[in-house]
Amino acid sequence: MKIKAQYAMVLNLDKCIGCHTCSIPCKNVWTNRDGAEYMWFNNVECKPGIGYPRKWENQAHYRGGWQLRRDRLELKAGGRLHKGLNIFHNPDLPVIDDYYEPWNYDYARLIESPKRQHQPSVRPHSRLTGEPMVLKWGPNWEDDLAGLGETGGGDPNFKNLEWTTYLQFHNVFMFWLPRLCEHCLNPACVASCPSGALYKREEDGIVLVDQERCRGWRYCVSGCPYKKVYFNWKTGRAEKCIFCYPRIEAGLPTLCAHSCVGRIRYVGVLLYDADRIAGAASAPSDEAVYPAHLEILLDPHDPDVQHHADDQGISANIMAAAKRSPVYALIKQWRLALPLHPEFRTLPMVWYVPPLSPISSQVAPGREADLIDRLRIPITYLANLLTAGDEAPVRRALQRLAALRGYMRTRRLENRTDTGLLDAVELDAGDVEKMYRLLALARLEDRFVLPTKPVVGEAENYTRQGRCGFGDAV
Amino acid sequence: MDPAYTLIFTVFPYLCLATFLVGHAYRYVTDRYGWNARSSEFLEKKSLFAGSVIFHWGIVGTFFGHAAGLLMPQRILDRLGIDSQVHMEIAYWSGLAVGIAAFIGALLLLQRRLTHPRLKAVRRLNDTITIGAICLVVGAGIYNVVFGHYNVLYSVAPWIRGIVTFTPDAMLMKAVPLSYKIHVIAAWTLLGFSPFSRLVHIWSAPVFYLLRRRIVFRRLAGQS
Repeated sequence: MKIKAQYAMVLNLDKCIGCHTCSIPCKNVWTNRDGAEYMWFNNVECKPGIGYPRKWENQAHYRGGWQLRRDRLELKAGGRLHKGLNIFHNPDLPVIDDYYEPWNYDYARLIESPKRQHQPSVRPHSRLTGEPMVLKWGPNWEDDLAGLGETGGGDPNFKNLEWTTYLQFHNVFMFWLPRLCEHCLNPACVASCPSGALYKREEDGIVLVDQERCRGWRYCVSGCPYKKVYFNWKTGRAEKCIFCYPRIEAGLPTLCAHSCVGRIRYVGVLLYDADRIAGAASAPSDEAVYPAHLEILLDPHDPDVQHHADDQGISANIMAAAKRSPVYALIKQWRLALPLHPEFRTLPMVWYVPPLSPISSQVAPGREADLIDRLRIPITYLANLLTAGDEAPVRRALQRLAALRGYMRTRRLENRTDTGLLDAVELDAGDVEKMYRLLALARLEDRFVLPTKPVVGEAENYTRQGRCGFGDAV
Repeated sequence: MDPAYTLIFTVFPYLCLATFLVGHAYRYVTDRYGWNARSSEFLEKKSLFAGSVIFHWGIVGTFFGHAAGLLMPQRILDRLGIDSQVHMEIAYWSGLAVGIAAFIGALLLLQRRLTHPRLKAVRRLNDTITIGAICLVVGAGIYNVVFGHYNVLYSVAPWIRGIVTFTPDAMLMKAVPLSYKIHVIAAWTLLGFSPFSRLVHIWSAPVFYLLRRRIVFRRLAGQS
């Protein structure tokens, strides 16, 4: 058993209102530069839809992530030799139009316009060429299902569903999916990098690009199945979400998590067994990856794990945080949170609580348990998104969320406790009380349990001030 | 001894070689952030495909062709059963193939860089000079192959070997036709300029990728 610690995030989609507040501080702080203006380390997609960049989930198109071939785990885009032979032109690389062509408005026209009969207007200008442009695609273009009639067929989560059915008004559904780098346990971007510039931090699992070592070969961009490594077209190198590590090290949550007005995000530490990563990532079927992934996440309350962690030098503050970790409770203890597209086999570490949705049709009395299959958002769709098509875990999570609501409702309105609801979903009143507190009331310190980085060479920090970062590129 | 020849064919090559070596070290120390392939595939992918692939394979072939043909003395090849006649024949046909590939590829890349509106956003004089210089060197090389018909095995080749082994003899270049002289002078200049251009990415060819473990972990400095 080789124990490592990892920061993980859980997003409760049941509460996401799609306000994009998370994206704004992230953009303002990290990608507010030429060459990075099109990048959204954090973005919010409206599902169903093809997302940002277009069709990112379709690995038949981009060939990101891993696959099993003859029981061996390999990069879908091909091995080392394949990369070497294609290094002059990466066939799987998205182009900027797959994200969107960045533009700006000529606001000065509004101010400098002479008096005229008509109001002056601003026109969009490409930030690449400076030419006026016609906007045909942009960030968040699909919000509130815009254009679903055109793009819906390109959403792979409609697998085993007839997508056109969901264009009819009485079947329409939608929810939001905020996305950031998954800081995977088995990151395909890291494995794809010919220069060895991408790396995973041993202490906390954050995946970073060494800007001085990146040579711009672009394989990380196509290798990441979540398309969360971006190519800075101006500096010619890759950039990605850094999990706000300067903040995290100081015990502050990431900007996206901190700013979330719905308080849907939870950040904490997970312990995992690094020896079993390869085994979990090469689980025999796509559906088996999620259970295998759960399996390698370790229980910090287990004395055996504590003993090993102590031996292997996991520091006391990390252990303490792991024990209080809200993400451990949501992911492993209650099985409410599920990974995003586990079939990519990267073992992602940003997980999602699936959203409940309005019940679209009634059931006969006594058959209330079936209501979970009458939610507006089809379980099949959520299962394709979160569990490689296996509906059982999604159903369990939704049933638990529904039971929690039912339980709290009877307690509040009828002043009695109905544990019958809980028995059906294998929870007890104590668990539900904790779930309720974490999902509905949790304060900042409950949602974000962040051990600070041990301070080494304090004096050195002052000499480094202003010297690290993007330097001249800013 | 002709001082002009010494200057052009002994002093100048060593000057370029020194710039090449010191320049790379200097660039690596001072500008690691700029050490980069500067790919523009992300902005424009279609026309890059033909240009980049043809050019790169062509120039890689050209490089190894020059290395094998010029640096290996003819007497060793004679012993291997390749006399100068056969050597020239091989050099002619293989050089023609890879040289033309590199030339066409470079022209396509130059044309793309100068005409594509999006690439204006990343256009730098440095890149244009680099690709222009490559076109000149490769173009002169092809001219020599097609129209030169001059046996370089007993003139240019020993001169190059002399420079590499620090026994330079500029007089070997005396009888060499002008087009060959232009080719080698342009090539030396490009070599001297390369540390200050995007060509540094050659030295980052990911050889170690073939050997390293797939997932890279790094530990914070100062922590056990």
